[in-house]
Amino acid sequence: MPNAIEFTQSIVNGISVGLIYGLVGIGFCVIYNASGIVNFAQGVFVMLGGMVCQALLTSLGIPLILAVVLTIPLVALSGLLMEVAIVRPMMNRGATLFAIILATLAAQIMVERITLLTLGDRPRTYEEFTSGGPLKLGDVAIGYQLFWILGCGALLVLALWLFFTRTRSGRALRACSQNREAAQLLGIPVARMMLLAFGLSAALGAIAGILVTPTQYTAYNVGTPFGVNGFIAAIIGGFGRAGGALAGGLLLGVLQALAIVVLGAGFKNVAALSVLLLVLLLFPNGIFAGFGPNAKAH
Amino acid sequence: MTGRNTAAEADPLLRAEDVSARYGHVQALQPTSLVVAEGEIVTVLGPNGAGKSTLLRALTRLVAGRGRIYFRGEDVSGLPTHKLARRGIVMVQEGRGLFPQMSVRENLVIGGYLQPGEVDAQMKAVFELFPRLRERLDQTAGSLSGGEQQMLAIGRALMAKPQLLMLDEPSLGLAPRVAGEILSTLGELNRRGIGILLVEQKAPLALKLAQRVYVISLGRIVAELKTDEIASYHDLARYYLH
Repeated sequence: MPNAIEFTQSIVNGISVGLIYGLVGIGFCVIYNASGIVNFAQGVFVMLGGMVCQALLTSLGIPLILAVVLTIPLVALSGLLMEVAIVRPMMNRGATLFAIILATLAAQIMVERITLLTLGDRPRTYEEFTSGGPLKLGDVAIGYQLFWILGCGALLVLALWLFFTRTRSGRALRACSQNREAAQLLGIPVARMMLLAFGLSAALGAIAGILVTPTQYTAYNVGTPFGVNGFIAAIIGGFGRAGGALAGGLLLGVLQALAIVVLGAGFKNVAALSVLLLVLLLFPNGIFAGFGPNAKAH
Repeated sequence: MTGRNTAAEADPLLRAEDVSARYGHVQALQPTSLVVAEGEIVTVLGPNGAGKSTLLRALTRLVAGRGRIYFRGEDVSGLPTHKLARRGIVMVQEGRGLFPQMSVRENLVIGGYLQPGEVDAQMKAVFELFPRLRERLDQTAGSLSGGEQQMLAIGRALMAKPQLLMLDEPSLGLAPRVAGEILSTLGELNRRGIGILLVEQKAPLALKLAQRVYVISLGRIVAELKTDEIASYHDLARYYLH
């Protein structure tokens, strides 16, 4: 049995990675709410966020802040491209949602393979945003990057909440999620809202990738595990509920970290999928589905 | 049916020519023409499944269809739904089409999506018509009573400053007194210059309000009548059985 310090340390690690899952989960929700599509290429945006930022930092040698500022719109652009080149043409041709979802999965594999062929399979990383550390609290070590993840994650959640509740476009996106026809009848351009959703979702994935890469590494294939765990986080929280996805991500991250110290690293995914099965059995609409009428997309 | 001959204006508020719609292989609406003149209330009556709702959905391009649609003489046939709203054609859907998880205030604010600078003024005007909505501002739309939901649906449509308001069964599921109140509000809106195209099952209520009636049966318009020409509601029954 692990001791209290190992427990505490694993919870700290779990919160860090859980927040990333939560951000990926929110990305799933944003697109799902605007279009009804589950974008299985969501993890690709996390991979691209880390890859592009790493390339800008090491190949071009530009400062971190500039690399971050450039990476986010570049990856967001890939989200827009996916909507314009894959999703919209299929929708316009009357493809079923299942077919479109399958196409996003194909897009994920395609982008991974292109990345592998062009950049190789070498794992890449870059330094934490703040050098030094880790911070020692007794015997518990907390890397500075965790504070960046927590701080940026909190700011992002606040920004998203403000966007969805205070801005014209954010409200319009929520309106699309609740009744797309009614939204159109009030003059809301639903197609443009979908484009916005894909761009926003990709930007969220990029930020998650930029934040998490210094704590581990990025490679052509990291998108899949982040995508799967983000998807599980979204389901745990009640698919479509951004706040639920964040909470689901934190829960999942902590449970995975605890599973590693208690049962061993091999049980990480067993824990994640067990939690998913349990939630689906006990709360088919997600743990947080009934926690307030305004929970959706907040 | 040629609505053109019965409406005097050269450029009526709405003129639909041979508008039709299909759901897959099913022709839900045969080529249909109708006219709504400026300042007019027109109602479309017909039995269940006659194609009344499909007609409104075809006119607002919620369902793909053929035919030409002119709004104040401008050909708007190729415009998507949201651009028709920009022209002033707004529809209240059957079942109200609210955003149930949003508050009354948010529903109204989204209703003013096209008029972001006039939201407060428009909301004030909506509260004058429906004072009860002011008392429910922070309540979610889904928690309102049926009558309040219908008030909100109409109020939200008014936020978009419509010139032509289409309503699909606004009295559906409402107590007769509430349905009467809602329909009399439509009369008030019409006096303020908004043209109204009303699809209604409750013929007696609709006939009190409208100036003209189209009767639709089996996906086609089978009669066009002025309400003052209809001696009794039972006169319409023969068209229903067409």
